[in-house]
Amino acid sequence: MENTSQVPVTVLTGFLGAGKTTLLNRILTEQHGRKYAVIVNEFGEQGIDNDLVVDADEEVFEMNNGCICCTVRGDLIRILSGLMKRADKLDAIIVETTGLADPAPVAQTFFVDQDVADRTKLDAIVTVADAVHLSSQLVDHHEAEEQIAFADVILLNKVELVGDNDIVKVNDRIRKINPFAKIIKTTRCDAPLDEIVGLNAFSLDRVLDIEPDFLESEHDHEHDDDVTSLSFVSDTPLDMDKFQDWFGNLLRTKGQDILRSKGILNFKGEDERYVFQGVHMLMDASPMGPWPKGKDRSSRVVFIGRDLDNMNLKEGFENCKSA
Amino acid sequence: MNADLETLQKSNKTELERRGSIFNIGAPATEAVTIRDQIAVGFGDGTVRFFQSGSDPKTVKAHKGVVLSMTNYEDHVLTGGEDGRFLKISSDGNIDEIFNFGSKWVDCVASHKDTKVCSSGKTVYIWTKNKDKPKTLEHQSTVAGLAFDNKGKRLAVSRYGGVTVWKLNNNKWTASNFTWKGSHGTVTFSPDTKYIVTAMQENQIHGWRINDKADLAMRGYPSKIKSFTWVGDTPYLVTSGSSDAVCWPFDGKEGPMGRKPIVVANGGKELATFVKALNGEKAVFTGFTDGSVLLAEIDESKKPIMIRSSTGAEVSTIAISSDNSQILIGDMKGSILLSSLWADN
Repeated sequence: MENTSQVPVTVLTGFLGAGKTTLLNRILTEQHGRKYAVIVNEFGEQGIDNDLVVDADEEVFEMNNGCICCTVRGDLIRILSGLMKRADKLDAIIVETTGLADPAPVAQTFFVDQDVADRTKLDAIVTVADAVHLSSQLVDHHEAEEQIAFADVILLNKVELVGDNDIVKVNDRIRKINPFAKIIKTTRCDAPLDEIVGLNAFSLDRVLDIEPDFLESEHDHEHDDDVTSLSFVSDTPLDMDKFQDWFGNLLRTKGQDILRSKGILNFKGEDERYVFQGVHMLMDASPMGPWPKGKDRSSRVVFIGRDLDNMNLKEGFENCKSA
Repeated sequence: MNADLETLQKSNKTELERRGSIFNIGAPATEAVTIRDQIAVGFGDGTVRFFQSGSDPKTVKAHKGVVLSMTNYEDHVLTGGEDGRFLKISSDGNIDEIFNFGSKWVDCVASHKDTKVCSSGKTVYIWTKNKDKPKTLEHQSTVAGLAFDNKGKRLAVSRYGGVTVWKLNNNKWTASNFTWKGSHGTVTFSPDTKYIVTAMQENQIHGWRINDKADLAMRGYPSKIKSFTWVGDTPYLVTSGSSDAVCWPFDGKEGPMGRKPIVVANGGKELATFVKALNGEKAVFTGFTDGSVLLAEIDESKKPIMIRSSTGAEVSTIAISSDNSQILIGDMKGSILLSSLWADN
């Protein structure tokens, strides 16, 4: 069940100079009638002076729970717990991460810490990308790839400085890494705030929005460590036990390289749709009501990550089909 | 196991609620400390309110934003806030700003006699008598807990990866590190100062015997431990985080090593969120996620007493007046119960 008293938290990523501060200033100064707290990094681009701004220092902690890729943002746990003691309720919280930070520990914090999970929920990962420089940043910095890969929404900013052909190219480049993020083209981050905040992108029922059109597998990348996506569709119902064995083992052994995963599953003998979504090794899954009448009951899964070609994903998925 | 709480809850209001006063402040109660016959409470709206039996609380508008930390200091309280201010406040409303850290939070405060201590970020600031400038102690990660030993000679600072114990010798602080993987929060010295114990980010508490740094891992909790208190002469370290108050014995050479804790004050499906010793007795008050509070002896054969019935908001603080006559209970919705502990008081 969705807990409506949970405050939504938007994670904002993007390289230095892409326009994160422009967006934060808009969120803090526009008359939107809502109360947003903004958690910024002390080494961020420039100071933003506002009572609703909290300084953080991106302290990544390893959890002592035997899970090797389980890192969380210790400072976020502390700050979110503090903000939840405020007398006035916040409508949303925005967490800025610096250009070089990996968004995974931020996302994992919302899965791992019970107090954080009880009182807040991860709303969406929003990445601001610089339309002029993104292509070269993707070549030089694997963090840029990860920020694109993790995103639910990508603001392709500064489009006014780029010709139409180049916009199409950079758009295609983003799509190869991340087929399901919503791309919004902006000038000075001028997207409506309700397309950035309050999206509920991590809610499991949003997985149902995965567009079948994006599920064309193509992977003509050049290096094995490129971030790519792979997707599979099956009209044959899957065997639940086989799927759980395969998928559980996959996340346990390859979770480091699988940045995000999402899927809708049709299990043999089950009337309901099952949906899941994961960040690295951590996953949330649930039945999500009966299949809509008159529509195909097909299973769809998407993986975004590195080195996906060496995980035998296609074979693994095929083997889950019920006999 | 008895679900003590469920049986007791059927009997509506408790004796203490009938004879006490209830105040609805409207902001979460974050901390409470005792100063003589008053109990000071910090709230999520930035106020500090001084409660005293028989009168309305006195309200001091101290911080902008949440009162994050509080301790007593002579006849005053020291508070740290979300507004970056470290304050000394008297019960008549005088506010003395000791330091302003700007946009950095003041997460932890501590005191011993005339020494005032706070932490902001990775740094601990120590003001000693008659000195305007603080001494600073640096750490590798954000400070999450501060505790003096009973003589004020050692200051334990918890952080990611363990605890730094600072010792004062000839006006110089020297560090000794106690290491254990993971993130450490609230910290405490045992009353005999032989052990230090922390509440961890994981659902466990961790302790060290100070003389040989031997580790003590106390696990098995279903949730994070937010509160602990030393009880009785044994003494027991009583902790929240479970459906009972979990009481670890710290007597003998080995303390709780290889021993099982005693569990008292069963809350049924509710989890304990705050524990507070009844001074001078082998008994503990335990507050739960639903707002109820039980008083229990550290004895599994004895029945606990219901002190406060359910309010629907988790108990976030409990304080007892220094003469053991009054109890104050506060919760996350800002409801405060102030009541005399004894019938003829």
